Amino acid sequence: MAERICVARIGAPHGVRGEVRLHTFTEDPLAVARYGPLEDKAGTQAYTIASLRAAKDHLIVRLEGVGDRNAAEKLANLELYVSRERLPAIEESGSFYHADLIGLKVETSAGRALGTVTAVRNHGAGDLLEIVPEVPGESVMLPFIEAFVREVDVAGGRIVADPPEGMFDLDPSSRPSRAKRGASRDP
Amino acid sequence: MTRSVWKGPFVDGHLLKKADAARSSGRSEMIKIWSRRSTILPQFVGLTFGVYNGRKHIAVYVTEDMVGHKFGEFSPTRTFHSHSSDRKAKLVAGVPGAGPRTAPGAPTPEAPAAAPAAPASKT
Repeated sequence: MAERICVARIGAPHGVRGEVRLHTFTEDPLAVARYGPLEDKAGTQAYTIASLRAAKDHLIVRLEGVGDRNAAEKLANLELYVSRERLPAIEESGSFYHADLIGLKVETSAGRALGTVTAVRNHGAGDLLEIVPEVPGESVMLPFIEAFVREVDVAGGRIVADPPEGMFDLDPSSRPSRAKRGASRDP
Repeated sequence: MTRSVWKGPFVDGHLLKKADAARSSGRSEMIKIWSRRSTILPQFVGLTFGVYNGRKHIAVYVTEDMVGHKFGEFSPTRTFHSHSSDRKAKLVAGVPGAGPRTAPGAPTPEAPAAAPAAPASKT
């Protein structure tokens, strides 16, 4: 489980009064101001947002203690983190922070280890758990639906899942070869 | 220009056979397909397809909202990484292999949409 979560990245300076562009990764871009002081990756330096306003695809932020453009330039590309504890608790049942799901071990209801969750993606067809299998190979996308994911035990660090047949036992020999590329693989 | 209505939605025939076989078997399985161009039909709802993106098969659990879209829309071919931040995932209900749900007038594997014998106009 990730203890510290990256919520934003400082971009280029904006103007000459110490404002910077802030690229947020939060669902609501303005929520970054609600998580309190933001820290650098090492956790040694804290930055408090004094003011912010929305721009086209980013925020314009004034940080406390950053008063001129030279100071703002030194912060370019700095990633800002908050501790996991600062995120509000989710009241809706069945919802989980991506940060909580990443790193969980996935196993079947029979106890067979399948892999580890490395990311949660959404390509428009619902949430997908990206699972790196125990054996070396391509990662596998498992739909995050109750039919396949039986139990999510964040405290226990595991997910019990029954994936559909043919999802995890990918045979390397079944992958299309270069010679066959271009021809339809569907019979 | 949009596709002519009289033609009906385009679906590769072999995909219909695969979906029909998976549904009749009643098992929970991922149907591997390479046909990104095929339209999602109502009878695919509840099935899980592995849509090839040029590198691997991306699992697509078909819901009613996806009907009418192409399979390729849900299997991106380019990688995009981002920080998870405070994003949330919701565990939703879904029953794989659910029975066919056909909309009125939708083609079925047994009776695909028939084109008029002599269409007066192609548009």
